[in-house]
This record gives sequence, C-alpha cells and structure tokens, in this order.
Amino acid sequence: MKELFPAKQVMGFVASLVLTVVALLVYYTDMSFTVGMTILLATAFIQAFLQLVVFMHAGESKDGNSIYTNILYAVFIAVVTVFGSLLILLWDM
Amino acid sequence: MHIDNSQPLEYSTQQNQLNILGFWIFLGAEIMLFATLFTAYFTLADRAGSGPTSAEIFEITPVLIETFVLLTSSFTIGLGVHAMRLGRKNAMMAFFGITLLLGLGFLVTEILEFMTYYHEGATYQTSAFTSALMTTLGTHGGHVTLGLFWGTFIILQVKKRGLTPGTANKAFIFSLYWHFLDVVWIFIFSFIYLKGMM
Amino acid sequence: MEFFERFAIPNPSPAIYASMVAIALVSIGIVVGLTYFKKWGYLWREWLTTVDHKKIGIMYLVSALLMLFRGGADAIMMRAQLAVPDNKLFDAQHYNEIFTTHGVVMIIFMAMPFIFAFMNLVVPLQIGARDVAFPRLNAISFWLFFAGAMLFNISFVIGGSPDAGWTSYFPLAGNDFSESVGTNYYMLAIQISGIGSLMTGINMCTTILKMRAPGMTLMKMPMFTWSAFIANVIIVFAFPVLTVALIMGTTDRLFGTQFFTTDNGGMDMLWANFFWVWGHPEVYILILPAFGIYSEIIATFSRRNLYGYTSMVASMVLISLLSFLVWTHHFFTMGQGALTNSIFSITTMAIAVPTGVKIFNWLFTMWKGKIRFTVPMLYSVAFIPLFTIGGVTGVMLAMSAADYQYHNTMFLVAHFHNTIIPGVVFAMLAGLTYYWPKFFGFMLNEKLGKVTFWLLTVGFVLAFFPMYITGLDGQARRMYTYSESTGFGPLNMLSFVGAALMAIGFVVIVYNVYYSFKNSSRDIGSDPWDARSLEWATHTPVPEYNFARTPQISSSESFWDAKKNGHVLFKGELEEIHMPNNSGVPFILGIIFFVAGFSFIFGLWVPAIIALIGVFICLGLRSFELDHGHHISVKEIKETEEKLGGAK
Repeated sequence: MKELFPAKQVMGFVASLVLTVVALLVYYTDMSFTVGMTILLATAFIQAFLQLVVFMHAGESKDGNSIYTNILYAVFIAVVTVFGSLLILLWDM
Repeated sequence: MHIDNSQPLEYSTQQNQLNILGFWIFLGAEIMLFATLFTAYFTLADRAGSGPTSAEIFEITPVLIETFVLLTSSFTIGLGVHAMRLGRKNAMMAFFGITLLLGLGFLVTEILEFMTYYHEGATYQTSAFTSALMTTLGTHGGHVTLGLFWGTFIILQVKKRGLTPGTANKAFIFSLYWHFLDVVWIFIFSFIYLKGMM
Repeated sequence: MEFFERFAIPNPSPAIYASMVAIALVSIGIVVGLTYFKKWGYLWREWLTTVDHKKIGIMYLVSALLMLFRGGADAIMMRAQLAVPDNKLFDAQHYNEIFTTHGVVMIIFMAMPFIFAFMNLVVPLQIGARDVAFPRLNAISFWLFFAGAMLFNISFVIGGSPDAGWTSYFPLAGNDFSESVGTNYYMLAIQISGIGSLMTGINMCTTILKMRAPGMTLMKMPMFTWSAFIANVIIVFAFPVLTVALIMGTTDRLFGTQFFTTDNGGMDMLWANFFWVWGHPEVYILILPAFGIYSEIIATFSRRNLYGYTSMVASMVLISLLSFLVWTHHFFTMGQGALTNSIFSITTMAIAVPTGVKIFNWLFTMWKGKIRFTVPMLYSVAFIPLFTIGGVTGVMLAMSAADYQYHNTMFLVAHFHNTIIPGVVFAMLAGLTYYWPKFFGFMLNEKLGKVTFWLLTVGFVLAFFPMYITGLDGQARRMYTYSESTGFGPLNMLSFVGAALMAIGFVVIVYNVYYSFKNSSRDIGSDPWDARSLEWATHTPVPEYNFARTPQISSSESFWDAKKNGHVLFKGELEEIHMPNNSGVPFILGIIFFVAGFSFIFGLWVPAIIALIGVFICLGLRSFELDHGHHISVKEIKETEEKLGGAK
C-alpha cells in the first residue's frame, strides 16, 4: 500500500498546497499591489516548475534536453507576447 | 515492433517515444495558445463597458473548490502513473477514475459559477472583459471536458487490453495533458481570480 | 427560397458569373473524367488515403501550383486596373476583393503548401528515415489545408469574397462594416488550414529530432533539414496565436462577443496586435525553408560544400528567436508610444544581421567553386542581389520615425514583394526544377527554364522597382485608382508591363511541364545533378520505404563522401520493413471540417454542430483503434530494388 504513495509525489502535492495557500494570502490579507503581484508571480511559477519536473517527469527520458528547450522557448515567447502586448496596447498607448 | 524492456512501458518502443516527444511539443504550442488568451484577458480585464467588473462578480468560494479539486486530481493521476509503472493495473484504473471524478467536480463547479455570472448580468456578449474571461475559462474548461472523455476511453482500453506498451503510452500522455491543465489553472487562479479580487 | 438568398453574391460582376460557370464545368468535368476512365478506385487507394510523405508532398505541390495561378490572376487584374489613371476595369469593391484574395491565397494557400511540399518530399529522405513521425497526422495536415483552400476559393462565387485585406483589420472586418459572409470565410478557412499547419509543425519537429539515421548528429544534418526544423519550431509557437485571434474574430462576428468592437470595452487594435504576433514569424516560416533550398542548390552547383555550416545554423536559430520580437513594426503608425516603437525598431534592425551572415556564407560558397549555371543556380544567383535590396529597404522601414512616411504606401508593397518573390518564389521554382527529376523521373527542359527565369527576373524588376518610387511619391496601397494629376501613371504602366512578363514566364512553366513530359529522356539515373546530400542516394522513383537499408552517416555530406571518397553508405543484411497503413480518415476529416467551416460561415448551426460532433467521433475512434501497419518482406524489398536498378 505504501508503495502506491511515493514520497516524491506526496511531497510535491504538499508543496503545491502550501504554495496555493501562500497565494491566497493575497486575497485574505491586506497588502500593496506590488507585494501581492510578486507573491502571485513567485508562487505561480514555482508551482508550474514543480508540476513540470516532479509530476510530468520532464527530464526523465533521453529527450529531456529537447523537452526542456521546448518548454523554455515556449515560456520565453509567451512572456514576450504577454508583456510586449501589454506595453504596446496599455502601458505605452 | 521492437520493445526495449529496460524502459518503462510507455517509453518502450520507438513509436512510443515519438508520441511522447510529439505531445510535449504540442504542449509547447498550448502554452502559446493560453498565453494569447491571457494576453487578451489582461488587455481587456478593466474594459467592462457598462457591464459588471471583475471585482463585482468574482467569489472566492467556487474558486477555492475548483483549485483544490483540480490540484488533488493532478496528485491522483500522478499516483496513477506511478501505479502503472509498478504494473498495478487495478490501482492505476482506480486512481485514474478518481482523477476523472474530481475533474467532473471541477467542471460542475465551474458551470455553476458561469450560471451565477449570467444571472448577475455578466454574459459572454456583455463586454470585452466578460468575453475575454469566459473565452479563457471556457477554453480551459473545454480542454478539461475533452479530457474527461479521453481519460474514460483510456481506462476502458486498459480494462480490456491490460497494460501494454500501447495503453501505457496513452495513459502517460494523458497524464501529461492533465498536469498541463492544472498548470494553466494555477495561472488562471493567480492572475485572473486572485489579482482581480486583490 | 429565402434560405438560398444568403448564398448570393452581394456584389456580382460578369467576371464572377463567368467564374461560377467555369468552376461548375470544371467540377463536372473532373467527376465525368474520373468515372469515364474508371479512376475512382485508383484515386482513393493511391492518393486520397495515402499516408506516404512523398505522395502528400506531391499533393501539396500540385495544390500550391494551382493556387499560384489563382493568386497570379488576382495580381494581373490589379496591375491592369492600376496601369492607367482613373481606370474603370474594376470598381473599388471588386478591387478590394481582389487584393484580399491575392494576399491570403499567395501566403496561406500558395507559399505555405509549397514549403510543406518540399519539407514532406525531402526531409525524411535527407535524414535517412522511412517517413515522418506521424504519417496519418501528416495526411490530416494536408486534407485540412485542402479543405481550407477549397472553402476560401469558393467565397467569391458563393456568398461573397472577403474584402478587408489579407490582414482583415477590425473594425473594418467587423459586422458593422463588413456585412457579407466574406470575412467569415476568411476567419474559418484560415483557421482550418492553420490547424493543419500546426500539426505539421509538431510532426516535423519530432521527425527531425528523433528519426535521423545513425551517425547523423544535429550538426551533420543537411542545411535544408535544419531550415525546415527551425521553420517548424516557429510554426509550433506562432500558429496558436493565430488560432486564438481567428476564434475571437469569428465569435465577434457570429456570436456577438466584444473583443474587437468599438464599444462595450472592445479594442480593435488587439486584433492587429495578435495578427502580427503571428504574422511576422509567418514570413520567417516562409523564408527559412527557401534559404535551405538555396543552400542545397548553391553548394551542389558550386561543386563545394556549404561555407560556414555552424554560422548558418546559428543564424537561423537567432532569426527564429528574433522573429518573435519584432512584430510591432507592422503597425508603427497605429498609436502606441515612442518607447514601444523604439524597442521594436531596434529588434527589427537586429534581425537583419543573421540574415546578412547567410548572404555572405552563400557568396563564400560560390567563391572559388566550379559553378554550373543551371536553372536552379540562376534563381539562386539572382536571389542574392535582389533579396539584399529588399532587405535593405526593410531596414529603412524598420526606423519607426521614417516609417510614418513609408507605411501603407507602394514603397511597403515593393519591399515585401522584393523579399518574397526573389526570396520565396524563386526558391520554390528553383527547388521545383532541382527536385523534379527525383520525383517525376525526367528533367524539366533547361532552355525553357532559362526563358522562364529571365522573364520572371526582368518582369519582377520592372513590376516592383517602380513601386519604390511611386510609394515615395505618395501612392497609397490598396487604392483601386489614382487621378492623372498625381503623375503615378507612367510608372504604374511600367509595373503592368513587368507583371505581364511575369505572367508569360509562369505560362512558360506550364508549357515546360507539358513539353518535358512529352520529350524528356526517362533515362536520367537517380542523381542527375551530381548532388551532395542523402535524398539523392535513393532510387528514382523512390520506393515506398525510401531506403532498403538505413544509411550509415559519417559527415554532413555522406552521399558525396560515398561517391568520391569511398564511404560506405549502405551495409548489412536486408531486414523486414514496417510501414504504416493507408487510411481514409484524414480525407473524411477534411470533408467534415469543410462542412463545419461552411456551416459556421453561413450560420447553419445544425450542420455545424453535427460536423463538430463528427470530428470528435473520429478522435474517439482513433483512440480505440489498433492499427499496427504492415510489413514489407525481405523478398519484396529485393524484388523492388532489382527493378529499380540494383540494391544500394
């Protein structure tokens, strides 16, 4: 029975729960916009990274490098698209 | 078909490895798909015209339920893949089944959430904000719905054919899909709901 | 009867009525012909259900060539209308429809399938593989492209052509200003085709990463394969943006959402932003495989290996990254601030650098090479100066402050045709001539090829260089006419002459195919150009399984090494070969998507939903399917190899 609940997965789940609760502080307590956004950014990206590495086993096969490069590329272009668009359409209009 | 027995079943043939890498590349494309949806949402989030704003309609309760349900389902499917690697077919099917039930719970909560929005005058056509909100949440929810069908089909195949390189490969790829949907939800939860309720 | 009114053309003309008749006659002719010659079975077995990358490549090629003529017809009509001031050949409405379809057809339905044709035909052979990673997905990609192309092409005879430009900006493209279904055709046809493109992106990336022959490391791949790989990486990350933008455009028009509207919070600029986030990488998707073809051709006909392999690869990787960082230069004048424009000016100018590196590498390859001026080499040599001119006008446009003068004038039109025609079109024609003998078993006539080359080159210069001048003089783009007093007349007439020369050049290509089919020798062997890379190590025609034995790779030019330096490409015993089975599902999916697209365009919700359910049923059936392909026995391989000219 114990073998069905490997330590890595359980720890990963607990860590995700903790990160979610930390993010919730932004709603349940009073804090400035900047602090709040920083907490949200940190918890979101850390949790995403956790899912990728621990749950999705991104690095486990010999295609690991290709997979990480692919995800890195995607995230980079995604961030450029999001922030570039916000700059163009909202912040520098 | 040459089977490499030193690898887990889902990686054990050439086609299996192609399928897994191909799916990861697909997930890269999906990251851009959701990035575009998020871009639209962030651009239009404060443009509610004469309709309700995010602060007016967002409620923490359904969001909490959706988040913990989906997060737990990500955990249970991880346990399912682990059981599969141990060759424990029944445990694997049980964990996958629980995952899909939790997914259904997520969807039901989200549908109720949308119905509430409609009653409050926040419809798909009301404003740029509502169109962007519902398209983003709806695309994610649509992916979850597709996942419920896909996951069911896989459980049926495992039941009928057992754990083979073919079924293990499909189950593993489905788990990648399901985890990815949870990653997207993390961003929805943080930057649509929580940010909108700060 | 009222139901059928929606299919009527809102702005008919004699030419459109004539086209309706022509389309009907041709369709009937095809059906009658297939029945009379009893070729339905052959068509279904050999082409409609194929998953063979070589046949899929040929289908893309034929489609691209047909669409080249559709887009070209649009072009000659525009040039004719603008040849003289105050011309009445086409009114504004029809002119708008023509330039819209010209742009969409040439980029989405001509250039994209052309590059997909070469990727499909050449990449698996260049890496020593038997097919792509996902052959059935490959077939689906083709049939989705075909469905999108068919859908777009009937717009002008059923319901009305789109007329808001190939960029379809809102609010013009919204319901208030584009009431006909034309823009619905735009949104849905491109969407369907785009899904096919994304699938190819995933397919090709996986194939190139995982299916190379033993010994072929990434840095030993042929340059065309590298260019195809990078282009497909761009496809994977750019097309989803278009997917979302088109969905939003569709829901705005069909379901009343407020993404790009002018009230209720809508933001019309968001469309332009998303369109170009996709649109800029798209032009690099088109040009990189073209660069790859030039690399192959220049090396072969300089009788030298390509100069600067590493910097060629590095420059393409850099281009792919930068291509996602420049998109705002397409709308410098549309309201954003100086900070934004400055950032994107800098990134835009930066992207010229890696391209420049490539030009120098091609020149160095030719330096001290033993050059043969075959038709493919002529196109490649003309490309270098012509594309460079187009590139430097691009740097002019990149300066955002200056762009206020150039934007949406004929200067811009000249720039992008100056890069696309010598860049992409010449490469496609060069590649067509170069690879023709491998896939069709005979050479295209050299003399006719050279006639075409000169007609196209001189025609191109005459057609487009005057536009730089009229653009600087103030002639706007997308304007159906101009008055005599502007003085634009003489140069526009020159453009028309150039366009006519190009049209003759394209007709000569058709004649060349016919003439060569009738007269060219079929005894040309499998390596008529004395080429350097692995695709020429196959028989002609290439057998279903490509290579009887997987080739052994030792360098980036193992075939050349085998011919000249005694490297052994093929060794070992023959083994049974596993190949995928044909399938009718991709073709059926194409039909289903066509029906779905057509139904959404005209607001026929019941067939639309039924068609969408059909898609999901196909997915479900595929999930449960247990198809393990078929095996080709050693005996059959031996027989095929003997027939084709000895086992390799």
